[in-house]
Amino acid sequence: MELWGRMLWTLLSGPGRRGGTWGWAFSSWQPHSPLAGLSSATELVRHWTGVFEKRGIPEARESSEYIVAHVLGAKTFQSLKPILRTQPLTPQQLKCIQELSSHRLQRMPLQYVLGEWDFRGLNLKMVPPVFIPRPETEELVEWVLEEVARRSHTVGVQGSPLILEVGCGSGAISLSLLSELPQSRVIAVDKEAAAISLTRENAQRLQLQDRIWIVPLDVTLEGSWTHLLPWGPVDLVISNPPYVFHQDMEQLAPEIRSYEDPEALDGGEEGMDVITHILTLAPQLLKDFGSIYLEVDPRHPELVSSWLQSHPDLYLHLVAVRRDFCGRPRFLHIQQSGP
Amino acid sequence: MSTPGLFRFPAPLTRIRTVPWGLQLWEKLTLLSPGMAVTLVPMAGKRDCPPLLSLDENELEEQFVKGHGPGGQATNKTSNCVVLKHVPSGIVVKCHQTRSVDENRKRARKILQEKVDVFYNGENSPVLKEKREAEKKKQERKKRAKETLEKKKLLKELRESSKNVH
Repeated sequence: MELWGRMLWTLLSGPGRRGGTWGWAFSSWQPHSPLAGLSSATELVRHWTGVFEKRGIPEARESSEYIVAHVLGAKTFQSLKPILRTQPLTPQQLKCIQELSSHRLQRMPLQYVLGEWDFRGLNLKMVPPVFIPRPETEELVEWVLEEVARRSHTVGVQGSPLILEVGCGSGAISLSLLSELPQSRVIAVDKEAAAISLTRENAQRLQLQDRIWIVPLDVTLEGSWTHLLPWGPVDLVISNPPYVFHQDMEQLAPEIRSYEDPEALDGGEEGMDVITHILTLAPQLLKDFGSIYLEVDPRHPELVSSWLQSHPDLYLHLVAVRRDFCGRPRFLHIQQSGP
Repeated sequence: MSTPGLFRFPAPLTRIRTVPWGLQLWEKLTLLSPGMAVTLVPMAGKRDCPPLLSLDENELEEQFVKGHGPGGQATNKTSNCVVLKHVPSGIVVKCHQTRSVDENRKRARKILQEKVDVFYNGENSPVLKEKREAEKKKQERKKRAKETLEKKKLLKELRESSKNVH
């Protein structure tokens, strides 16, 4: 079922409706709160937390805090000046909170509700169905920055390092690398037009458009990478490729299943489809001893290791595995060494 | 697989030195293990900053959303509040100032360090000394501003009265 159809299906058959009607979801919105006009931010948070909890919305308190903070111009509720938390809100602000909350009630991921989110301190626009950057991925970028710093001969040289990102989505990885490595250049590719468009927009927003080339490209298509050869060779390849095992796709939360592009998640039977394509083609684009950095499923380090061993003609070696902040093996560093 | 990749603040952070950096002072947290990343914690606007009591990571208990469930692409969590406890004193800090777990962890440590210092050093804590100084300066500024305003008023009145004379 295509994405839009699935979203509609979810809206019409969501759980917990118990006697409630669907009419309200589509008709003109009536305020839940009789406190309209007198409510403070703190009270609004309490109110909407209750509403979300009753309707089984996960992260009820966090969601309402972020929504209220957003409407008041802050990134988190805790960062709001205390005085702003107790002042009464304007009718306009109340209406805004209501509208955003109605989307959250439909299990829309918070980042899409707000239309923006942060990644390593950069604020990025978020638009469904382009994949929302995950907090773990911030660590992937951190690792790459550490490694680049160690190879100090590439730092400070203009145009260096030259990085290829596969599957750029909203542009999170590429743009944070560009922002933290002022001399770097990035080639960012994605097969999805919406992702290309959003990455372009985010690059402009951050004024990084001069050092990034954003190319619509499906790396799983035969011969696709030949288009990139003129730009290469690159110092490193980085990717958070779709790595969910296909059988796990249906267990994903409604937020993910109904709103994010499944092609950005589904890695095939063992979650390896896109990974193996990247590994197969990277050597053609990498400089000698160039590196590939991947975010993967915790089951992949072993699978990748044995796959690399059965493809010695690629001259790729799994150099290191790094854990995420939950202690799960999450990131791979693969290096090319040889012909 | 060794643990250092797990946290960015492994092992005791036991040495703190103050290093002037232009007009700002940066606290340099030196880790015992060689080759580890050094974390710089900015302390803006201080010309002369005595070091605070250091925090020993081994005495801290940290709680942040550890992803129930698979994590990574399979999860979408937005809760990144960090709860940090200093076990010996029992002081707990909750930090949700930013949308980044990493940044919240850093800030939680900074805030906790200040609270722990006050806890053990009381009035002698640089934290409180600085607060008193800042408050004093603020009062002085207010006083000066008030005096200036009154002078202006007086001047204005004098001008008005001399106008009326003509």
